[in-house]
Amino acid sequence: MFDHLDPDLTSMVVGAEESEAISACLDRLMVDTGASYIMLLDRAGQVLSWKGDAPRPEMTHLGALLAGSYASSREMARLLKEDNFRVLVQEGARERVFTETVEDRWLLVVVFDHQAHLGLVKVLAKRATQSLSGVLHVVIERNHDRRSRITGELRRAAVDTIDLIFSQDDRATESRSTDKKQWP
Amino acid sequence: MALINVAAKEIHGKIVYYGPGLCGKTTNLQVIHGRIPQNGRSDLLSIATETERTLFFDFLPLDLGKVHGFTIRFHLYTVPGQILYERTRVAVLNGADGVVFVADAQRDRLADNLQSLRELAHNLTNQGKRLTEFPMVMQYNKMDLPTALPTPVLDRYLNTIKVPRFEAVAVQGRGVFETLRAISKLVVNKL
Repeated sequence: MFDHLDPDLTSMVVGAEESEAISACLDRLMVDTGASYIMLLDRAGQVLSWKGDAPRPEMTHLGALLAGSYASSREMARLLKEDNFRVLVQEGARERVFTETVEDRWLLVVVFDHQAHLGLVKVLAKRATQSLSGVLHVVIERNHDRRSRITGELRRAAVDTIDLIFSQDDRATESRSTDKKQWP
Repeated sequence: MALINVAAKEIHGKIVYYGPGLCGKTTNLQVIHGRIPQNGRSDLLSIATETERTLFFDFLPLDLGKVHGFTIRFHLYTVPGQILYERTRVAVLNGADGVVFVADAQRDRLADNLQSLRELAHNLTNQGKRLTEFPMVMQYNKMDLPTALPTPVLDRYLNTIKVPRFEAVAVQGRGVFETLRAISKLVVNKL
């Protein structure tokens, strides 16, 4: 679908307007399905948006694991000469996880308990991925128009921060203050 | 592909540690995890076999704090090094913004390093990356061992595209952060 995607495109900016559209879509899906959590991930497992009350670190780890599962199932599909496994369902005693790809770029993840029907979640998630697909198209079009993703000033500040954080490198570690963001 | 979320003011990047089995990829992440101040530390997630070899990946989210109002987060991954898990490495490499190739500096591992490096080049090319432009650094690990090859020899065989390279003894923490700093800067400069 995104064959025209520039291989040099190393980062993707999701603007405020698109974020709002994503948020509204996830809100609607949350209400309609009665899910516990809903997440939208990129293919690398980074969380674009989420709904529910899980603490952030848990979401980050879940995102990495789900993206790993999806990437793994995609490789399985390739070996089995399938186009793709578009949907993953994981079922536990209390909770179920439904994952569906949005044009092979993003992953929509719905975590729900046994009060919600899997069939309903499937249908509503399918509808949501269609809306999200529209948002994804806009994001990609807008990214093509951008020559640089972030300003030079922000990039320089980020590089300076990395130097500051890792400035001690492999030297003595005893005198370091743990309150400051200067780890090694 | 790095993600810049304007509304949430977040920048996310993915860095993958790649290399042959037992070269020290997981050790790198363990050292980094061990030195993160406890108040900002997330768990190091490891999906390993019963014998503590990486089965799928290790994962460590790294929060660099706020820069100009943007929170910068790197997600560090390792791949499983064993030959058997080639397709798993492809899956983990998916969407990477930068790669650290960890080479085992010992003489008898040179062939394994070369094979792993060739596989990495193949996988990156298949994912549409241009090798000469893709953020990558190399780490020569286990340089303290008597069987370690000298750096110029490793350079000649492994670093033909002349990416930044660092000597390391990861198990003692040497060279770990120097490597991380270099790849982080390369990734940020590509945003």
